Amino acid sequence: MSTLAHDAVRYAKKPRGTSATAVLLLAGAVALLAGFALPWIAPSKLAMSLFAQALFDALLATSVGFLFLQNGRVSFGQAAFSGLGSYAFGVLVARNLVGAEAALLVALLLPTALAFLLGLVIARVSGVAHAMLTLAVGQALYEVAFRWRELAKGDDGMSFDLPARIFGVSARGLQDPAVMVVLAWSILVIVLVGLALFARSRTGMVAAAIRDNEERARFLGYSTTLPRALVYAIAAFVAALAGVLQASYNGYIAPQMFHWTVSGFALIMAIIGGAKFIIGPAVGAVALFYIKDFAGQVAEYWPAIVGGALVIVTLTMPQGIIGLADLLWRRSARR
Amino acid sequence: MSDIALQGIGLTRRFGGFIALDKVDIAVKRGEIRGLIGPNGAGKSTLIDVLSGRAKNRAGRVLINGEDVSGLTPQQRRKRGMARSFQRTNIFPDLTVEQQLRVASWAVADADIAEVMDELHLAGLADFPAAQISYGDQRRLDLALALVGRPSVLLLDEPAAGLTTEESFTLARILRDLANRWNVTVLLVEHDMQVVFSICDRISVLHLGRQLGEGTCAEVRANPTVVAAYLGTEA
Amino acid sequence: MLIQVLNGVVYGGLLYLLAVGLVLIFGLREVVNFAHGALFMVGAYIGFSVAAAGYWWGGLVVSVVAMAIVGCALDATVFRALRRQDPMVTVLVTFGLLLILETFVTAVWGKAYLRYPMPALLSGTVNIAGSPFPVYRLFVIAVAVVVALSLTAWLRFTRIGLYVRAASTDARVASIQGVNVDRLSLIVVGLGTALAGLSGVVAGPLLTLSPTMGNYILIDSFIVVVIGGLGSFAGAFVAAILIGQIHNLGAICLPWAATILPFLLMVGILIWRPAGLAGSRA
Repeated sequence: MSTLAHDAVRYAKKPRGTSATAVLLLAGAVALLAGFALPWIAPSKLAMSLFAQALFDALLATSVGFLFLQNGRVSFGQAAFSGLGSYAFGVLVARNLVGAEAALLVALLLPTALAFLLGLVIARVSGVAHAMLTLAVGQALYEVAFRWRELAKGDDGMSFDLPARIFGVSARGLQDPAVMVVLAWSILVIVLVGLALFARSRTGMVAAAIRDNEERARFLGYSTTLPRALVYAIAAFVAALAGVLQASYNGYIAPQMFHWTVSGFALIMAIIGGAKFIIGPAVGAVALFYIKDFAGQVAEYWPAIVGGALVIVTLTMPQGIIGLADLLWRRSARR
Repeated sequence: MSDIALQGIGLTRRFGGFIALDKVDIAVKRGEIRGLIGPNGAGKSTLIDVLSGRAKNRAGRVLINGEDVSGLTPQQRRKRGMARSFQRTNIFPDLTVEQQLRVASWAVADADIAEVMDELHLAGLADFPAAQISYGDQRRLDLALALVGRPSVLLLDEPAAGLTTEESFTLARILRDLANRWNVTVLLVEHDMQVVFSICDRISVLHLGRQLGEGTCAEVRANPTVVAAYLGTEA
Repeated sequence: MLIQVLNGVVYGGLLYLLAVGLVLIFGLREVVNFAHGALFMVGAYIGFSVAAAGYWWGGLVVSVVAMAIVGCALDATVFRALRRQDPMVTVLVTFGLLLILETFVTAVWGKAYLRYPMPALLSGTVNIAGSPFPVYRLFVIAVAVVVALSLTAWLRFTRIGLYVRAASTDARVASIQGVNVDRLSLIVVGLGTALAGLSGVVAGPLLTLSPTMGNYILIDSFIVVVIGGLGSFAGAFVAAILIGQIHNLGAICLPWAATILPFLLMVGILIWRPAGLAGSRA
């Protein structure tokens, strides 16, 4: 495993036993409930809308971070899966090919299944080669979406109307900032709790062992391809969630959603937030989103700022922001 | 069922023009502790690699408890009771000692890990990430990972590498004790002759990829070919 | 038909110039330069500025020199500092650099598409197998061929070339034998980025300039480098020609194949040789 990933997970928290699980679930429940208060806390619809979009970023960043945490692999192409989710949902709904619920299911399961298959195939590829490969995957999909005009108007992107109802409730509500912000928040909380539980489950621990030392894991008796592929699948599922939420909120899909810069930014958010903690990437994403929003006038130079931040964080703070906070907390706790 | 637990027949392995193993035969009885000695480059580690499935042999067969496992992966060989340790410590740096032993036990029907932890004095280190424990502790962990689940055939590649004399003897004693209690068949590569003579029932000698001799400690010590090639300066 | 093949060779030539730069940089510093496409782009813009003032050939020279300097600076500051770290760290840093470069170019030249002028000397067409073929495209092919030959000769027949080959195989051993790897890297990385700049300038009149023009060709050059073998110069040449042909096929008849095929090739190679990039050094 790369030394980078080694450093990243070295200080990952290891809570003991069932009490920690209980705490985790409790924290999750509290967060969920708090989410429902968001529409009342938020100062305006715009604020809710912005936060909702920050949450979409958070989900994608979590996807990237999770893959890194559990597989030790850096992906420059998670946007391929969020894009697939967006496109699957958008196209199926726009063409009225299947019911809304089925469209949702396909939009979530297609990227997941694809990622699983891809994971089986590229399980042996790591490091920079992996980065290049995932880069190419995302771009291949981008090119396809770009040129396939009959699918979704190619380069121009395509707007679509949400179906009238989904799961028995009005689907149009998905474009109401108040509804979406609560929905996105809830999904993010559930995803984070779910991933944390996975990390501590047997499958998760086996995946971590494979990440640490694939050869020894084999000699212990484990097939190393399946657990890896499973992690790819889970990460893609989270990315697909981001894609579907975003597509339904905006009612719009475009090839840009697959672009490797989208993946790249998600990766940056994960790194800056701290990929060794499940919650790190989400924090990084939200932080970056608001810094960008706040930066307002200098938003023109935003990519350079982010690029610069990436360079600085990579060189000086391998644990990211959350890692830094954790480090400081430990130091003060020891006194 | 035959009483030969581990057998290699005509094992040959080549790297380009270099022949690492040349039609090596080896047969270890159940419960026996067999030492594998020889000068550097003799092919000892290669033999372990071939027997454990880490390296492919160009010719020959490997049998565990009479079953031909030549085509099986290391995972599959583990399921048939073969485990190994590594010369260069091969542990999981970012998992704690306990976590990785648990992972090891899940692969063998949730075997008990407390026993292994106690025997190898790892209990006090349970919550430490493996990267943070001492070298000697890591060597014992490497061994512990192989012992979880009481394998029937154990291949050890210089388990005492880098340990002090005292640590080596302690380890050897623990090994002997466990092997006898659990009736494990052991093939042990080791350079430290004192360790080898202290715990091994029989010894195989490899030289330049070929088997030079095999017998009890006394027999091997007295064998003139072996002495000339290897033991002259060691024993 | 011949014309189609030649067009493919033109793109292949551009790819080769980029790919060989990547190979050079990777050989010395074990760095996969994610900013290489951005350097291609910056080279094009610098050349453009000078060319727009009326000095097309001056633009080429200035751009190549400027990008060489950028490369040396990059090596001296970033690559040297990170040489003991995991290669992924440098990937991330070069990615950050890419973002910085794109923003810089947008700030200075704006986002609007720009047209790179064609040099008077090379405008016009030539008759090939009964069809007109732009002279400029022949020039591009010529540049690629000249670079390929010079590079091969340099590596094989000069002392520095020998050092480069030695250091590319094993930097530590080479330095033990007295090769100053850091100084060598300066030269080699500078050369690699200069080639990226050259590719940018030469590509200028064929493409429209935009701050993101480096993205597409970067991916293609990664594919070339993976297929050709990251340590191999000859491999880069062959793979570049191959991808150039596939890319051109796509422009004509099979857009699907052109998009997916290079990617599939890359995936195939990386799976067959997962050590892939490192394996070529073994």
